[in-house]
Amino acid sequence: MMATSVPGLPLILLGLGAVVAMLLAPRARPGAARAAAALSLAAALVAAILRFHASVVPGNMLVDDGMNRLGQALVCLTALGALAFLRPGAAAREAPALLLLAALGAVLLCGAVHAATLFLGLELVTLSLVAMFVLPMSRPALEAGYKLLILGGIGAATLLLAVALSYAATGVLSLDAWSGRGPLVSLGTALLLAGLAFKLALVPFHMWTPDAFSGAPAAAAAFAGTGSKIGVTILLLRLDAAGPPEPLWSVGLALLAGASILLGNLQALRQTSVTRMLGYSSIAHSGYIIAIVAAGSALVPEAALFYLSGYALALIAAMCAAADTGRDSHLGNLRGLVWSRPLVGGALAVSLLSLAGLPASVGFFGKFYLFTALISREAWGLLIVAAVGSALGLYFYARFAAAVFRQGPDWPPHELCWTDAAVLLLCSLIILGTGLFPTSLLDLVRMSVNPG
Amino acid sequence: MILPALVLLPLLGGFIALVVGRLGDDAPRWVAILSLTLALVALAEAIVGGGSGRWYAEYRYDWAPALGVSVIFALDGLSASLLAVSLGLGIVSVVVSWNTTSNVPLLNATLCWTVAASNGVFLSFDILVLAFFWELMLVPSFLLISLWGHGDREAAAMKFLVFNAIAGLGLLASVFYIGATANPVTFDAFSISAMHIPRTVQVWLLLGFALAFMVKLPVPPLHAWLPDAHTQAPTAGSILLAGVLLKTGAYGLFRFPAMLFPEAVPVLAPYGLVLGGFGTIYAALIACGQTDAKRLVAYTSVAHMSVVLMGISGGVDFSMMGAGIIMVAHAFSASALFLLLGAIYDRVGTRDLRELGGLQRSAPRFAVAFALFFSATLAMPGTSNFLGEALVITGMFQVSWIYAAITLVSLVVSVVYATRLFKHVVFGTSRKAEVKEDLRPAELGPVIVLATGTLLFGLLPQILMVALEPAVDAAVLPLAAGAP
Repeated sequence: MMATSVPGLPLILLGLGAVVAMLLAPRARPGAARAAAALSLAAALVAAILRFHASVVPGNMLVDDGMNRLGQALVCLTALGALAFLRPGAAAREAPALLLLAALGAVLLCGAVHAATLFLGLELVTLSLVAMFVLPMSRPALEAGYKLLILGGIGAATLLLAVALSYAATGVLSLDAWSGRGPLVSLGTALLLAGLAFKLALVPFHMWTPDAFSGAPAAAAAFAGTGSKIGVTILLLRLDAAGPPEPLWSVGLALLAGASILLGNLQALRQTSVTRMLGYSSIAHSGYIIAIVAAGSALVPEAALFYLSGYALALIAAMCAAADTGRDSHLGNLRGLVWSRPLVGGALAVSLLSLAGLPASVGFFGKFYLFTALISREAWGLLIVAAVGSALGLYFYARFAAAVFRQGPDWPPHELCWTDAAVLLLCSLIILGTGLFPTSLLDLVRMSVNPG
Repeated sequence: MILPALVLLPLLGGFIALVVGRLGDDAPRWVAILSLTLALVALAEAIVGGGSGRWYAEYRYDWAPALGVSVIFALDGLSASLLAVSLGLGIVSVVVSWNTTSNVPLLNATLCWTVAASNGVFLSFDILVLAFFWELMLVPSFLLISLWGHGDREAAAMKFLVFNAIAGLGLLASVFYIGATANPVTFDAFSISAMHIPRTVQVWLLLGFALAFMVKLPVPPLHAWLPDAHTQAPTAGSILLAGVLLKTGAYGLFRFPAMLFPEAVPVLAPYGLVLGGFGTIYAALIACGQTDAKRLVAYTSVAHMSVVLMGISGGVDFSMMGAGIIMVAHAFSASALFLLLGAIYDRVGTRDLRELGGLQRSAPRFAVAFALFFSATLAMPGTSNFLGEALVITGMFQVSWIYAAITLVSLVVSVVYATRLFKHVVFGTSRKAEVKEDLRPAELGPVIVLATGTLLFGLLPQILMVALEPAVDAAVLPLAAGAP
């Protein structure tokens, strides 16, 4: 079989790419490091895709199965998307290398089945993101970085304690440790939930998210909201499959989900800046994904990953558009965007349509999966919360989307960089295309989660 | 296949209208008219080419087999009547907004898309596709009110969106429940109607469907979005709201409860009668107290749609047929009134009844048009509205004399508000807002079309009744079979 590649190849490619980008950063032109990063991401993406039909390779530390490959591909795609609108100015030459490291961490998480890889992946993501956040060295950026550093640090400590407790109880460091029972494992599970909630930005561990979206570089925030979320979600799905102590696990997840959906949407309601709104909306969308996992239907992996892919597309497009309009894109300042810069405004409108879960966008089928997963397990409480959340969501997404179409003063002329244009165009086309013909993405997700 | 064209032509027309905006403002308008006319031709073709059975045409396409979703379109007399209305009113709305100068390409695109999405609702027999188009309708109509409306349009548009989207979640939840429990997964309405769903489950599912349909209809107390949306919407928006969007709610109630949940209908129909009865009197009384002419007409819409709800909940041949006829008749009369009031507003900048007046002297054509559509609103014999109201009342006598009495009372109140409107607008003299310019040809054309519709089906009702009959039978029979 020539068409398949080596199981760990994406990891190796990303690691090598990070080293090369790091070496290029101090001397070469900023574009060189970015090109090297793009090249290694593309190579890793191809390496992941080539293995789509290969058989599962089990392992003690990492497993190479369909979910892992899909996760790797999605992480590489989101990182490529984020890289396209990363602005590696003179002060931020290291950004591409850091993005690669974050992607490496997220890719590691996709295959992690052991406490060591789990922790390594999570910390690699968090620490690279902290560094990326503070690169502009502006006050909001520093604030975002500090918040993530401190909260992420607490999250890491909680996770370590969780791992230690479950190891003490079962003597195993693989994820199967969580299938044990007893007070120590239960306590460990509670701490594990808290630790993962930090990484997924779930209420009440969400405080860093809105600041990251409004203060940190758009590309870094976009990757924090998509790539790292994909890694952590896949980890969560593997933990869920291992069978942690019930009812603690599902009830804990359901509470986190409900609180995130309600609080995320309610807070987003009050925002007048696109990026902060997207930050709170990111909390709410994490909530929807966790709600799917908490309901625990047979659909879980498929539904969660489909939802997440749709969300990632929309968020990348929205953050790219936000980066192009200027970081403090206030609601009132967005007027007339679609007339002055059709691509930016159109892509923003399409991504908001998808985030709101309206038809003709991939978000509608995401909502379909979310509701179906909740209904098929008769999780009425979560269903009502999700319905309230999506009704609230419609309000603020529509507010921003309508502003984009409203007539307003002409925007200053602006040269749209081709990579941004490509991201905006591709994301909008895929959002609409998948919204009208969902079968291809659906089959892809289904094939990866149901081996054979 | 011809049925998808009814959705795709306006949809495509909208996109082309956006693109040809660079060629000037007239290009998108002509593109919109052309695409809607072509769709109308396709509809005529489908009706003429149809067989002798209930369905003129059918269309099936496996959309997402993995989810059990197929696009299933079917055209019978009810759908065809409403499609003709929606395409016709789409053309009317393009014509009446000819003088709008802001964002012309997008305006015409949203008009086309609103028609396209509601056409999808009128055609779909796969309930997920129905829900898809149901939600899709909101997007262009929201933009229509929010971007080209009057006064506090942003709040009105948001109210419209939030009310309808929340209600739409009821529909979505029911649809997803059916999908999640059906084995094998299917959203095909014909298969679902053959499935046996337990009665209590049917009641809950029907509640979800009815919530979405009754908010769109709307029936008090779920109507709060409508007066604002109607008042602030541009004339074209009001026409499409009254003529097309409200009809999607009525259509949904007409078609799907009896088809999908025959056991639940007898349980919930009494509540429908009570709500409708309350709604028609309540809205008619409120209409009597309005001073904004457009708001007044908006409340009359609520009153008439409540009668439609009563007719549908009555569930007998006569009342169903009456409800179907009111759906078509009201589309003509309410749209025409909104068109006329919009034309007056363009001339004098007010819709306040206390400031208007004297049309009969200064603008006789206006006065004649008003006279016709006022009499339609109060269901004067000779207009198609009369036939609908009369059939509903006849049907109500078979259900209970109380509801018949309520409909009669509402008819009396409708005389009050219609004559009040007529008196203030057409007679007397106006101190502040005299209309000096009579109807222009671009306004007269649509008015004549709508007048023809009102009178044609009033004088030759047989055409409409023959078209609606199979749908009425299909809605009444499952109920009769389920009755003890």
